[in-house]
Amino acid sequence: MKKHLKQPTKPEDRSPVLTCRNLTVGYKDKPVLSGVDLSLEAGHFVTLLGPNGAGKTTLLRTLSRHLAPLSGDIRIHGRPLAAMRAAELARFMAVVLTNKVAPPLFSVYEFVALGRYPHTDFLGRLGPDDHAAVQSALAAVRAEGLARRIFTDLSDGERQKALVARALAQQPQLLLLDEPTLHLDLKHRLEVMAILRDLCRKRKITVLASLHDVDVAAKVSDRVALIKDGRLSAWGAPEQILTGGSVAALYDFDGAAFSRHLGGIEMRGDGSRGRAFVVAGMGSGAQIYRLLAKRGFAIATGVLHTNDLDYFVARSLGAECAIQSSMQAIDHHNLAAADQLSAGCDVVIDCGFEVGPMNEANLTLVKNAVGAGRAVFSLRGNGTGAPEEGQAGHGCIRCQDPGHLLDLLESYLAVKHGAPQAAQSEKESVS
Amino acid sequence: MNVVAGATSCPVAAPRIRAALVFGVLAILVAVVLVANVGIGSVAISPAEILEMLRRPGDDSIVGAIVWKIRIPRAIAAVVGGAYLAVSGLLLQVYFRNPIVGPFILGISSGATVMVSLVMLTSLTVGLTVLSPFMTTLAAFAGAYGVMMIVVAVAARVKNSVTLLIVGLMMGYLCGAVTAVLTALAEKEKIKGFVLWQLGSFSGFKWSEIQVLLVGGGLVLVLIYTLSKPLNAFLLGEEYAASMGVPIRRFRVLILLCACALAGMITAAAGPVAFVGLAVPHMARLSFATSDNRVLIPGACLIGALVTSLCDLVARMLLSPVELPLSAITAFFGAPIVIGLLLKRRVEM
Repeated sequence: MKKHLKQPTKPEDRSPVLTCRNLTVGYKDKPVLSGVDLSLEAGHFVTLLGPNGAGKTTLLRTLSRHLAPLSGDIRIHGRPLAAMRAAELARFMAVVLTNKVAPPLFSVYEFVALGRYPHTDFLGRLGPDDHAAVQSALAAVRAEGLARRIFTDLSDGERQKALVARALAQQPQLLLLDEPTLHLDLKHRLEVMAILRDLCRKRKITVLASLHDVDVAAKVSDRVALIKDGRLSAWGAPEQILTGGSVAALYDFDGAAFSRHLGGIEMRGDGSRGRAFVVAGMGSGAQIYRLLAKRGFAIATGVLHTNDLDYFVARSLGAECAIQSSMQAIDHHNLAAADQLSAGCDVVIDCGFEVGPMNEANLTLVKNAVGAGRAVFSLRGNGTGAPEEGQAGHGCIRCQDPGHLLDLLESYLAVKHGAPQAAQSEKESVS
Repeated sequence: MNVVAGATSCPVAAPRIRAALVFGVLAILVAVVLVANVGIGSVAISPAEILEMLRRPGDDSIVGAIVWKIRIPRAIAAVVGGAYLAVSGLLLQVYFRNPIVGPFILGISSGATVMVSLVMLTSLTVGLTVLSPFMTTLAAFAGAYGVMMIVVAVAARVKNSVTLLIVGLMMGYLCGAVTAVLTALAEKEKIKGFVLWQLGSFSGFKWSEIQVLLVGGGLVLVLIYTLSKPLNAFLLGEEYAASMGVPIRRFRVLILLCACALAGMITAAAGPVAFVGLAVPHMARLSFATSDNRVLIPGACLIGALVTSLCDLVARMLLSPVELPLSAITAFFGAPIVIGLLLKRRVEM
């Protein structure tokens, strides 16, 4: 009996691994999430996203049968979840929870071997198959080297890998993980995500995980479920679902924005330090925008082509942009708009972009600013640039690198306003 | 490194060899102490004489009577009592995932004491005295289980182990208060027996009692051993255990029933014996260097038997002919061990 149940993977079974219909989850009389409809396909990486307390954990606990659903239907390959025997379910589904576990005096190997529970005899003796499964689970999480270590001596990241390996030792088709990257450092966070992604791609295991990092989720998930205000607010491929708007609504973002083109979150400045006009393009501005936003500057920029990296970053940061359609040379109309933006700013920064026929007009912006006697800071290459670039740089305050730029900006503002922190008086003196 | 057949390097083989060694040493030690317990006393009996007597059960000579009616029942009772208390403590430590619980600390022994005092001190059992030892055993079990249920109910609400400990202590005080009131109201002749019982001692065991202990407790031990696999899964906590297919509700009731049965049985017959249930599981974990309950259950049996037999020997012989209360000796030995272990933080669960 033990043998023929051992490999539950049936490649011919194309029905969804798990489906929920009109599911309501919660505790006793307090529904946390209702009307949940989900369908998990084999080998998919599915992510639950949502603010703390939205009900991600409650949903996972219901799917793992730790909690009874308040109403609705959960099916495993078309069979009701409630009808499955405990041992059968344990061979199909494994979990990684946020609970602290610290069983004393267990080597990692023994710990992972505990996951063989649903496969071993009544005393839990390990046969050759079981040892092979434990070794394979350890290999899948790249933790062969940890096998002899004592579990309680592991770091958080190593411990998480051991927990995933223990779940894999159950040889599940479906893996549920609650916040698998919580408390992990960057290295282990990326490593755990890569491991989980490989489980989907190589072992065709379906992974359902709740995550906090939208940017990571967007990069690994096949499907995402957004959970907010007691319901599933969106469900689908991250490429469709995760937009700046939906992510901002999900987390009630204030002062930050998700960009699907950049695949990450940009933090906006509060604009209290004054306005900076940035002459950028060809990716030269992205870093400068973030630097200025970090220091609290409001940003205006132009003229940017709409296929430029700088354009996407500037948009996410809420900068005012003068734009030009992609693949076209900057026309005088847009140039005038940019010049107007520039005129309204306290400082002008030239990012030292590469110059070509499509964007050479932007050099005029720098020249005009210098001509108008505004403070212009330039990052343009130190003596390596073409002659016309040298002309453009004439009359600018030269900066060697962004750090230097920042120092010069600070001292300029300090001199201009008498006191370095006089953010309030800045606006008055400008007008 | 150990290479097992099939060239699978298996890190589990080394602990197995260690376990076998420790088991061997412990078994020999228990046998030695058993013989010492039969041989040492106001009448010294040499091992040769003991062997001789073993071949003639029911011998009517003075030596025969001492060996068969006094020494052997007591030696067996100490071995069995130590083993049961140790396993009971082990189960409770796994159940509560807490290293500082044991039958005595959680008030289980106090609960048993209250019920036994009801039976021994009041006239409730008039005409039923024939049924003793079964009456006291049942009473002790009921008391142990009652207190256990209260502690479990509280433990479900508060996960904090210190709170749990305080609840156990308070239950102990409450039970002590009830016992004190009953003692104050009881007839004088009954009090002496009860006080002697309360000090804890393996003396005066009858063969009938030993049979009850061996058969009843033996069955419970077998049941517990078959639970060692879910017990291991339980080390990860209830939720992980459930996700691996452990039927949690049934299993929880079983663990508690078994722990109470073992502790209640011994408390009924020998009185409350402190610290064995708390200290021995730790000693077992350290000697076998594992938390694997398949090893720890028999291991705790052997160490419990060894420790309790030794303590009983000390209690009898230290100030002979005065016999010291067993609980005093087990406390002298157990408390420092527990403090030492906790300070070293080697037994965190």
